[in-house]
Amino acid sequence: MPAGNLKDVAAVCGVGHTAYGRKMNRSQIDLAGEAIRNALDDAGLGRDDLDGLVVSFGTPIGADADTLAYALGLKLRAYNQTWAHGRFTASSIQWAAMMVSAGLANVVACMASISFSGFRKPMMGGSGDAEGAREAGGGHGEDPVFGMTSPGAGAALVARKYFDRFGATSEQLAAVAVAFRKHASMNPNAVMQTPISVEDHQNSRFVCEPLHLLDYCLINDGAACVLVTTQERARDMAKRPVCISGMQGLPAGREEFIWTYPGFGTSQQTAFDYVPGPQPVYGMADVSPKDLDALFTYDAFSILAWTALERFGFCGQGEAAAFTQDGRIELSGELPMNTNGGLMSEGHIMGWNHQVEIVRQLRGECGERQIPNAQLIQWANAYGDSLIYRAG
Amino acid sequence: MAEYTKPLPAISTLNQPYWDGLKQRQMVLPYCEACDKVWYPPAPFCPDCWSRDFRWQAVSGRGVVNSWVVFHQAYFSSFKDDIPYAVAEVELEEGPRLLTNLVEVANEDIAVGMPVEVVFDDVTDEVTLAKFRPRKG
Ligand SMILES: [Zn+2]
Repeated sequence: MPAGNLKDVAAVCGVGHTAYGRKMNRSQIDLAGEAIRNALDDAGLGRDDLDGLVVSFGTPIGADADTLAYALGLKLRAYNQTWAHGRFTASSIQWAAMMVSAGLANVVACMASISFSGFRKPMMGGSGDAEGAREAGGGHGEDPVFGMTSPGAGAALVARKYFDRFGATSEQLAAVAVAFRKHASMNPNAVMQTPISVEDHQNSRFVCEPLHLLDYCLINDGAACVLVTTQERARDMAKRPVCISGMQGLPAGREEFIWTYPGFGTSQQTAFDYVPGPQPVYGMADVSPKDLDALFTYDAFSILAWTALERFGFCGQGEAAAFTQDGRIELSGELPMNTNGGLMSEGHIMGWNHQVEIVRQLRGECGERQIPNAQLIQWANAYGDSLIYRAG
Repeated sequence: MAEYTKPLPAISTLNQPYWDGLKQRQMVLPYCEACDKVWYPPAPFCPDCWSRDFRWQAVSGRGVVNSWVVFHQAYFSSFKDDIPYAVAEVELEEGPRLLTNLVEVANEDIAVGMPVEVVFDDVTDEVTLAKFRPRKG
């Protein structure tokens, strides 16, 4: 075991969130305050116990960490945040795990608070695409000069390439949307609860072809919060701890493109046949993928479920299209994914809603959609980072 | 000529030669003398071998469509009249991939692997864009 190994050192001691919905017309600070208080209540903690904060998705769209501390009267010893991107959920948890392990803070709230529908100007593409307008373009392949804008357009590039390279179809991709909606139909807090069919998916309009509307996540309002502390401290709190057993950082470079794995051949990636190789998250947690009770992933677009599955070796390259059919990723399947309904059907809370669901699954609190005796769940993303959570 | 209202590129000291080249009807990209690689986007040294020994060199302007999408939603009001418009990722013969618009081809005729060549579109007095059209393979 390497020096400084953090396997099971940190744990989640509380989770909280608001209602999720469209056009809620609520301030982001208001939403954040509710999510934080709910998480503290869940953990049996009070305001003075909270001394750390990590916010993902800050300026220019979400509520910032320093604003929240100031407005809500938090008493922080340490905080940090990421800019307005959804990919930083695992990074935030990893920072929090390091913060509590290093003694920088005792209890760290990790969260995002967003009101997409309350934002005054477009920010997902178009005139709000400030990142795309940067020198060297945007992080999802944006190049507004050619009308290439919005995170979904980069995912559409990956989807087209995937269909062409592996002979897959949009009908097969529908299975992802159908499965996550089925899960959301069992989740009273999900924004979209009405089940959909492959036909509904195929009949939904194209946004950025080949992706249909039902390949896209929701645009909504809400906040969700996960409290991280040491496992040792968590043992004395109200709820059963959920240990952070494995962590794998967020990779970057020319061989990476946010919506897929190396070798895929999008953006400046070299094209080659991808073989996952050992993923550090499994080594750290000392588990193998077959030990998992469920897999959660950042499903901003349906295709990301495929590229995440292939990246982590749940199936071979080009095989996720077939792998996701016949209910395999549904609750009763071999590898349930995103049992909350995901970003696509529960709501887009930057993946924080997924972390809340993982914790509740591992505590056995999910009612109708509970995975029987869930002990081990992974958060693993198309862009390569990961967490493995274990019931404490 | 009507005023050009679409977004314009972020021209910097680093990528100025690329845009100057297009204006002169030539596509130039950084070429590494040490390892023979051509790259995009521009960088202050070779992103492959980190050599600073590079020069801007004319490239073929030929490539193939690596992937492509069609926008059915008008995110930019300036692109509204172009809906549904295609954006392609073109892989140049020299290796780098560029995002671009395709001209002289209907959306339904675009395919991955389609051979294309550069055409120069003077969108303003200062800016020329590299677009691509089909070529005979
Ligand atoms: Zn070089």
